[in-house]
Amino acid sequence: MSQTVLEMRKVSKRFPGVLALHNVNIELRKGEILGVCGENGAGKTTLMKILSGSYKHGEYDGDILIDGKEVIFNSVSDAQAYGIEMVYQEMNMMLDASVSENLFVGKLPGKGVFVNSKELHSRSKELLRRAKLDINPKMTVRPLNSGQMQLLSLMRACAKNPKIFVLDEPTSALTDQEVDTLMEILEELRASGVSCIYISHKLEELYRICNRVVVMRDGEVISCRDIGDVEEQLLIEEMVGRKVETLYPKQHHATGEEVMRVENLSVPHPNIKGKNIVENISFSLHKGEILGIGGLVGAGRSEILGALFGQFTKGVKMALYVKGKKVSVASPKDAIGSGFGFVTEERKANGIISILSVRENMSLASLRNLPRRFFIDKKVERQRTQGVFDRLAVKAPSLETKLRTLSGGNQQKVVIGKWLLNNPDILLVDEPTKGIDVGAKAEIYKLMGDITSRGASIIMVSSDMPELIHMSDRCIVISNGKITGEFMGIEITDSAVMKAAIK
Amino acid sequence: MMEKTMNQKGNGVLARLFNRNEVGTLLPLLLLCVIVGSVNKDFFAAGNLADMLRTTSFSFLIAAPLTCLMITGGIDMSIGAVTSLGGVICASSMVNYGAPIWVAILMAMVAGAIVGIIKALMVVKAKLPGFIITLGLMYVVNGAILIYTQGLPITGFDKAFKVLGQGHVFGIIYWTIIVSILVGVAFQILLSTTKFGRSLHAVGGNEETAKLAGINVDRTRFIMNIVVSVFAALCGVFMASRFNSAQPSIGSGSELTIMAAVIIGGTSMLGGTGTVTGTFLGCLLMAIINNGLIMMHVTSFWTSFIFGTILIISLFIDKYRRSKNAVS
Repeated sequence: MSQTVLEMRKVSKRFPGVLALHNVNIELRKGEILGVCGENGAGKTTLMKILSGSYKHGEYDGDILIDGKEVIFNSVSDAQAYGIEMVYQEMNMMLDASVSENLFVGKLPGKGVFVNSKELHSRSKELLRRAKLDINPKMTVRPLNSGQMQLLSLMRACAKNPKIFVLDEPTSALTDQEVDTLMEILEELRASGVSCIYISHKLEELYRICNRVVVMRDGEVISCRDIGDVEEQLLIEEMVGRKVETLYPKQHHATGEEVMRVENLSVPHPNIKGKNIVENISFSLHKGEILGIGGLVGAGRSEILGALFGQFTKGVKMALYVKGKKVSVASPKDAIGSGFGFVTEERKANGIISILSVRENMSLASLRNLPRRFFIDKKVERQRTQGVFDRLAVKAPSLETKLRTLSGGNQQKVVIGKWLLNNPDILLVDEPTKGIDVGAKAEIYKLMGDITSRGASIIMVSSDMPELIHMSDRCIVISNGKITGEFMGIEITDSAVMKAAIK
Repeated sequence: MMEKTMNQKGNGVLARLFNRNEVGTLLPLLLLCVIVGSVNKDFFAAGNLADMLRTTSFSFLIAAPLTCLMITGGIDMSIGAVTSLGGVICASSMVNYGAPIWVAILMAMVAGAIVGIIKALMVVKAKLPGFIITLGLMYVVNGAILIYTQGLPITGFDKAFKVLGQGHVFGIIYWTIIVSILVGVAFQILLSTTKFGRSLHAVGGNEETAKLAGINVDRTRFIMNIVVSVFAALCGVFMASRFNSAQPSIGSGSELTIMAAVIIGGTSMLGGTGTVTGTFLGCLLMAIINNGLIMMHVTSFWTSFIFGTILIISLFIDKYRRSKNAVS
């Protein structure tokens, strides 16, 4: 029996309003690669942040034991001192420093204040050879592509000779060949007694390299088994299985009439040069319909909405038809003119202006609809915004209240109100109830039903499975840049969507 | 969690008046007047007050449009240089090319617009960092002026030209005061009642949100950048008239004090908030400090020290104001 090198016992972590981890127990053995899988929001990243020392002792409940002894991490360097190394999805390279400086950042070989360049160079070359990276250690990192950078961040961690390696979605930017290289490196590490936690939603990779696999869901560990003992279908069911809540309106108002069609939509990848995050997809939207878009984070769903709205235009290719007529969208102004509205994913980043009032936020997208050319008819503005304010039941002292004082749910209502003032035919929404409490969620769902009952249509991106399942009339799933599934009505199920999302 | 809105603190007109942000500038201003006045009664002499207002009007002419620019989050270190440029171009047109006054003024404004366009292309289109670029532009324009004038002032204007900077109505109200107040009122109306003004606040408050709401962010910032430079040049024209000569470095150093006046008046460097009324008070405060020091027979060496102290204090006040209104 192999010995236990790491144990996380009864770990719980609470954030305001949500329990991110509940009584999590993890056991990692020497020379093992332990896979961890789960949906967005299952708690995987939070757990790893606790292990890596990002959340220090006291910020969570539970214990961490290394080789059977309890340890306390007050910082990331404490965890590193015990041989725990993280390789995150964000690569954190110093773009203008050399490859070898990045590989040995913080641990440059040499005596005192001097750097031993010869040793730095030779050790870098050795690491690059192992990663099959044919690059000069002296060159800067900036011109490298994401795959190379990801391998570099892996080797950077290797250079520290860790006992416990934690990899979070390590292959997101890698080509198939680079994935093979990664697997070889992991095999070597395993053979030399290093243990590894491998977080990934790519089940085929877990089957390829892991000894055991842990499934997490809603902050809890659902199961932990030898990889050979479990079928993929069961893993999916465990990742997704959830109690159904009754906060969804029964109404569905989809008609057969097409209100929008997009063909051959391609959107460039925001992080990887030369690659498209979404490649040549086509879909349509019907009047009164709520079209859900499912898929994993990073699959390109938000980029689809952004492209339709003119938020992204560089490198975007699409043929867009609204109510049968071809339209070109070179900016959000064009999209608005064609009848679109866009409730974005991060309202703080680009949905609200927190220092302005409710009224000023609400009227922001419809200023040109106010009478008079240059001046704002304040009376009309107040009337119209008051109307929407009342309809949406925004909880705020008055129209003049500054938006930053409102709760998330009410801020979201103001954002929706902003678009409603334009009477859009097509409302794009990205994670409509993200960070919003249950009460406000129900109100927003009711509102979406109300909007569609009046003849408008909604395209909704959502990572919240119940929301996606219960609100969508029809649902398409995006994976690897393509539409991997389309489901209608009762066909929209957790497992169907999940299966298509990881294809 | 709910902010006490201005309406809730007290309903009377007086209470509402006291809660406006400008009060933060008005009170120290009144205090200063009292202090200086008590040391030297001549502070309140009509002639002295008129002089102070005239000084105020020169900086206010630029500070008013600058307020709008800073509300969008922009900055302009080249205003002083463009002021000098305006004066030199206007003077040169009249003296070296015999142009009539109104043409010369137009030439100065065109020069300002050209600098404004170059600035806008670099800062807005090429998205280069505003502070550094306008700083560089300041050096370039100042250098160009020195090369052109060989460091010498241009004099020899028509008598008629004097009216602009030195002429007055009713004995003490200088034309520059009237012009700058009209300009100030215009910009305040722009800010608080027009769609363009709303877009200025939106761009400064959250550029991404503004863009997604259909506002042409680049165009808004482009326009504002040009307008500031045009008014800076116009101010140079007034200054040349006031001093009866176009000095190549008349504007040097004024960029910092004008920006300081705008900030003291309540405009935040982060953008999104600010009023022209507050800026007026800021300019007035600066003029009072300047004049007050002279009235109190304090050497002008104290000027920088006091300006700087007030500027730093006003940033603290700004931070305090922002945190008071923020949600935890």
